[in-house]
Amino acid sequence: MKQIVDRLRQEAARLLAAGDVAMVIGYAKGTDVARTTPYFATNEEEAQNLTWNPFCTNNLVKYLLDFRFEDTKLAVVVKGCDSKGINRLIYDRQFPRERVVVLGVPCGGLLDRSKVLATIDPGAELQSVEDLGQEFVVRTDHGEFTFAKEQYLLPKCAVCRNPNPVISDVLLGEELPVAEEEKSDTFDDIVEMEALDPAAKSAFWDRHFNRCLRCYACRNVCPACNCRECAFEQAVPGWQQEACWLSKKASVDNNYTFHLIRMFDVTGRCIDCGECERVCPVNIPLRKLYRKVIKDVQELFGDTTPGLNIGDGLPLTSYRKEDPEEFM
Amino acid sequence: MPRIGVFVCWCGSNIGGVLDCPQLAREAASFPGVVYSVDYKYMCSEPGQNLIIEAIKEHRLDRVVVASCSPRLHEETFRKALARAGLNPYLLEMANLREHCSWVHAKEPEKAQVKAVDLVRRAVAKAALLQPLVSSQIPVTKRCLVIGGGIAGIQCALDIADAGHEVILVEREPTIGGNMVKLDKTFPTLDCSACISTPKMVAVASHPNIKLYTYAEVAEIGGYIGNFKVKIKQKARYVDHDKCTGCGTCWEKCPSKVPDDFNGGLGTRKAIYIPFPQAVPNKPVIDANHCRVFNNKKCRVCEKLCPTGAIDYEQQDTFIDEEVGAIVVATGYELFDWTKAYGEYGYGMYPDVITGLQFERLVNAAGPTGGKIKRPSDGKEPKTVVFVKCVGSRDEAKGKSYCSRVCCMYTAKHAHQLLEKVPDSQAYIFYMDVRTPGKGYEEFYQRTVQDGAIYVRGRVSKIYQSGDKLVVRGADTLLGRPVEVKADMVVLATAMQPAAGVETTARLVGAPVDQDGFIQEAHPKLRPVETHTAGVYVAGCCQGPKDIPDTVAQASGAAAKVVGLLSHSKMSTSAMISTVNEALCTGCMLCEPVCPYKAIEPKVITERLPGQPPRERTVAAVNSGLCQGCGCCNVACRPGAIQVKGFTNEQMLAEVDAICL
Repeated sequence: MKQIVDRLRQEAARLLAAGDVAMVIGYAKGTDVARTTPYFATNEEEAQNLTWNPFCTNNLVKYLLDFRFEDTKLAVVVKGCDSKGINRLIYDRQFPRERVVVLGVPCGGLLDRSKVLATIDPGAELQSVEDLGQEFVVRTDHGEFTFAKEQYLLPKCAVCRNPNPVISDVLLGEELPVAEEEKSDTFDDIVEMEALDPAAKSAFWDRHFNRCLRCYACRNVCPACNCRECAFEQAVPGWQQEACWLSKKASVDNNYTFHLIRMFDVTGRCIDCGECERVCPVNIPLRKLYRKVIKDVQELFGDTTPGLNIGDGLPLTSYRKEDPEEFM
Repeated sequence: MPRIGVFVCWCGSNIGGVLDCPQLAREAASFPGVVYSVDYKYMCSEPGQNLIIEAIKEHRLDRVVVASCSPRLHEETFRKALARAGLNPYLLEMANLREHCSWVHAKEPEKAQVKAVDLVRRAVAKAALLQPLVSSQIPVTKRCLVIGGGIAGIQCALDIADAGHEVILVEREPTIGGNMVKLDKTFPTLDCSACISTPKMVAVASHPNIKLYTYAEVAEIGGYIGNFKVKIKQKARYVDHDKCTGCGTCWEKCPSKVPDDFNGGLGTRKAIYIPFPQAVPNKPVIDANHCRVFNNKKCRVCEKLCPTGAIDYEQQDTFIDEEVGAIVVATGYELFDWTKAYGEYGYGMYPDVITGLQFERLVNAAGPTGGKIKRPSDGKEPKTVVFVKCVGSRDEAKGKSYCSRVCCMYTAKHAHQLLEKVPDSQAYIFYMDVRTPGKGYEEFYQRTVQDGAIYVRGRVSKIYQSGDKLVVRGADTLLGRPVEVKADMVVLATAMQPAAGVETTARLVGAPVDQDGFIQEAHPKLRPVETHTAGVYVAGCCQGPKDIPDTVAQASGAAAKVVGLLSHSKMSTSAMISTVNEALCTGCMLCEPVCPYKAIEPKVITERLPGQPPRERTVAAVNSGLCQGCGCCNVACRPGAIQVKGFTNEQMLAEVDAICL
């Protein structure tokens, strides 16, 4: 893992020094031992603050949109899951490919912060992390800890199919081997959910949507949500208020409408990076919603998870003669 | 708040006989925004329309709901009435009480009344959100492109040219004339096909308003109604037609012999050739696939003999740009390839099993046999000929589900010609039905029966060679017994299908094709020569199988439509089209590929925001000339930036709420 950090700092410094990019978007040390923060390095010195470890959870791709109207080039650090977001933005024509240098990191999985903090004192100083394949060895000034991946990985990382970036200009480490059986998604979580009877499903979502604060964090972090003005925040004149899609009030039925509209909006476009679920302050299992439509789209149109290739059309906005049409 | 007027129509007893219209009008008066409501016997009548106009003036109405029949029928009528009253015509909303209610629920008047109230409430809710719309004006280029130089294209081009507009006629073969000039005689009057079509071909060539491109194809079409930009590919003829006089020396001396497509492969032609003696233009082309020079052999005979030095082996394909205001597609038909589908008829193994079109060439005086009926295998005169109808037509398993419409008549004609030309001959005709709907058609068929043709109702199940005879096995379903005929020749009436390449042409002009590949007309009854793309018309067999009289009639119909369009120097576009809210558009351009009319293009706008330098950004732009308001882009638009005017999200939602809440 040290090699990746060294390589990252070196590459970032080189890009910034040569003026190839105006900024490198990456990660830096966070406020506690199991946290990193998004970091925007604009010169060689700042490049030395960049880091990489299994606590780099944020998908940094969406930060590109903050710079979309400038003409400078940017570099961004991506994991396998995040890299699909780059393809999403390019396909949606929200950011041109020629303006981004993708620094890809082969990722052995991310550690679950809450579980790690149960073992390590948050105030400890992180010294180094070693990826031994089946486990991470974390060295701090409070001692050395070993975390077995099976037990300590984030749920999304435990079933990861893209540890290597699907798009990158510079690969900062050795590509990780992917076992054949890990390449395709079995959707175990969704199959389990589908097996529930409607009443149980309804109760499940009632419970979760009841807690939704409508903070829109899931939308703000989502690379597929790149509208200029959100349908849920449009200004509607008073006498047309009745004709509005849904009210801003956070009630169960309005929350249902919000989440289902968002689900349909990202149908065939969600890259399953899992950021929505991570940022949700009330822990709504949003991936269950979006992965359900990924599964349905795969079954109906045979598409793989969106974002794997830039060239993949969107199943719901492209027409092929062999598309199923049972409704005809 | 808008001031809405509701006008409930009885439509005589059509609506009034089922629904209580006065009650409906009273109920409508209570809906939000409604300031006036009334019922009347016939709202579309002159007094009915005047009632609307007077009410608009008297009650200062600014939205109008007419609850009557389908908007397909009278929306235009009532829009005009609004315009006469000084209102924007698009401030009208209709509730369809007739087709959607009284007709279908005539047996349950009480329930129908409840539904009618809902339908009117819906219309009122939408009317409240209607906005005035205006259509824009686009200029019209007063020229027309006709694709295909068969009888449909020829007739259409002549009619348009005679009306004083310039016509560009593009034909991919070396001559115009199409399939009609291959025919010998035409039913039911038995006049010589060439004699009636060649004068029209000459008229095309000599018409001052017609620009003829033969051996050429349409490569690209851009633009929209009134303003199409067309790129025509002139294929290399290897003969300079400016120098060539058509003297014929070259094709007499050419050493390469090639099966003659014009004669259905029955005779031969040369590698430098004119398809037939009356070809227009009457100047040859070189078939590069078969010419010795193009196959690296020594020859150059034509070059040496040509008295005007017109041969040019170096000639290249050239491209010509033309601008036109309208396009007529008249690409015609070809015969269904039975040899790939009908194993029981020998997959084309037996030389004496021929198609109807080949038979036409056999009986034609200019054909490969000089008009003597001789069978292809040994040149003997066939005495017993079996005609098999519906080969490929009305056969969903192996061919097409549709009826090709002309086979019954031309088979009757073939039988008649056989019996007339070959003494002691016998014609057997296997048929499913005999369909003769046309002036003089049934009489012609009866005449053939009286001539002695034997009609056997049933399909042929097997044809095989036995000695020098073809054994044809079938069933006579009227007698309920098997039939076997030893024939000298078999003629198959194969199905008509759209000419090869029709999909390409359809894609170029943006017109959809149906499941059989025929170009879809805009409405099967009321708009038979228009397509769904404005400014593009159809004529002849590319729209569906038809005979010569129908083709000529449709071609003249298409010409009338074109002349109507070209008689204006400006035209107004539809007002109910897509519009892009540039503030919301993210420029993802997903709307572009879904648009069936190629009406959406990216556009760069400069955006000025307070406190920031002006910045450039790409958004979608709708071409008002091309957009038909179909709404595909509306659905594809993720940020909801695209709306169809007259069908906005808010309007639709208000309608749904009015019905469901």
